[in-house]
Amino acid sequence: MNAAALGVQRRAGGALAAFDALLARPVSMRALQLLRVLAGPAVLLHLQPFLSASLDGRIYSDSFYEPYAAWYPELPEAVYIGLLWLAAVAAVAMTIGVFSRVATATAFGIVAYNLFLSTTHFHNNRAYLVIVLGLLAVAPLGRETGPGWPLWLLRFECSAVYFASAFSKLVDPDWFGGTVTWQRVVHAKADLDAWILPDWAVSLLTDRSFHTGAAKLIVLTELFIAIGLWWPRTRYAAVWVAVIFHLTIEASASVQVFSYLAVCVLVVWAVPSTRDRVLRLDAASARHRRLGAAVRALDWLARFRVEQGAPGSALEVVDRDGSKMRGGSAVAFALSRLPLTAWFALPALLLPAVRRGRRA
Amino acid sequence: MGRRVVVLAVVLLQVGFVARAYWSDHKEFGFQMFPESSTWRADVVRVTADGRRIPVEVPWSGYRWEELVRDRGLSYPQFRHHADAGLDNQLAFLDAALDWVAGNTPRDRETRYLEARVTAWHNADRPQVRVLRSRVREGAG
Repeated sequence: MNAAALGVQRRAGGALAAFDALLARPVSMRALQLLRVLAGPAVLLHLQPFLSASLDGRIYSDSFYEPYAAWYPELPEAVYIGLLWLAAVAAVAMTIGVFSRVATATAFGIVAYNLFLSTTHFHNNRAYLVIVLGLLAVAPLGRETGPGWPLWLLRFECSAVYFASAFSKLVDPDWFGGTVTWQRVVHAKADLDAWILPDWAVSLLTDRSFHTGAAKLIVLTELFIAIGLWWPRTRYAAVWVAVIFHLTIEASASVQVFSYLAVCVLVVWAVPSTRDRVLRLDAASARHRRLGAAVRALDWLARFRVEQGAPGSALEVVDRDGSKMRGGSAVAFALSRLPLTAWFALPALLLPAVRRGRRA
Repeated sequence: MGRRVVVLAVVLLQVGFVARAYWSDHKEFGFQMFPESSTWRADVVRVTADGRRIPVEVPWSGYRWEELVRDRGLSYPQFRHHADAGLDNQLAFLDAALDWVAGNTPRDRETRYLEARVTAWHNADRPQVRVLRSRVREGAG
């Protein structure tokens, strides 16, 4: 082997070693633990039509269905219904944290089994749910930290969903040119008229030229979410846009558990480390105490250490890079890092006064 | 090593599913959301051994189409519907539904096969007419 070939082999070996190190890197499991809690209701919502049909004495095989493969096992009706209810119990256990690892694996197994029973069961939101449950099932969520690979894979899947959707629209002239959205609105005009929209809004939404631009905006939004999530500088904006995007979809289309699940999955983009920011309060101040209590209650990703500052001191947040914020800037920053308040607080970080409040 | 294989397998599978969605009817794991504004309607009939063509809106031998085919927007094919996941997906389901009904209606001794005359509007294109048929039922008539 010559020197050049040896060099290539050494570089490839180095890249593989770096890849392995990335997969094994210990990261906080907080985001995945939170996602498991939030995924329980998604499983219940997903199961609801199947359980409801079973209560009426019907299961999938009582009407048209199409197995993916002849060899795929189909269970007796009573066992199948029993499994659905077991999955519902597992979903509750996932959320309340009882036998959570077994519960997550059980929910994953049953939801996946049910999905692959028939082509008619397949919907994108159910596929996404199976992926999320599968990765939650293999992650060591009983520990504070674990290897990073399930988290990286979930990030990849999250981004892939937006990218696949955006790309399919980008390469379809009917979609990118606005024909698809325009026609959808025109076909649903009766529903639109039933809404409490003013006439000018209905007129705008049914205007063909409006959709020439709107379709491109939709595609670019999906692309921005898919790509923007990967970079720290654009991540918060991508998350913020993604929430609006899903709320808009939820208001305008029937997508089963997709909106809820997709918004929940966004927590996996939080930096997987804990207690690396400090919130310093004056215990004598009622306002500080209230904020401290709110942060302790809502800091589901364990971003902050709450410490007592000197008496009479201003409220202070120390970010993980050591930069400090005080007063209103600190409040806005703290709220922007809590899952429940982040969407509302993030725009405040763009205010000049808040930006000026950050000191290295 | 094991982790590397699992992660690469998942990534490759996902990429493969996304690519496969461009030619597959059902686009599993392809995540093509709201792909088309296409619509469709169909006149579905039972063709009996003596050549009669009876619409499936008329119950037969104790069966009702809308009870046999409850899912995927196929219950009332006579009305124009949006093809939620695209025309290919919708018509593949309709085709499979014809076969399923043909094979799961044992009290019906007169139907030879089911036929759907489908009018499909792909996005803003002109309508196209297609005929789908179930498999021929043995022993009818």
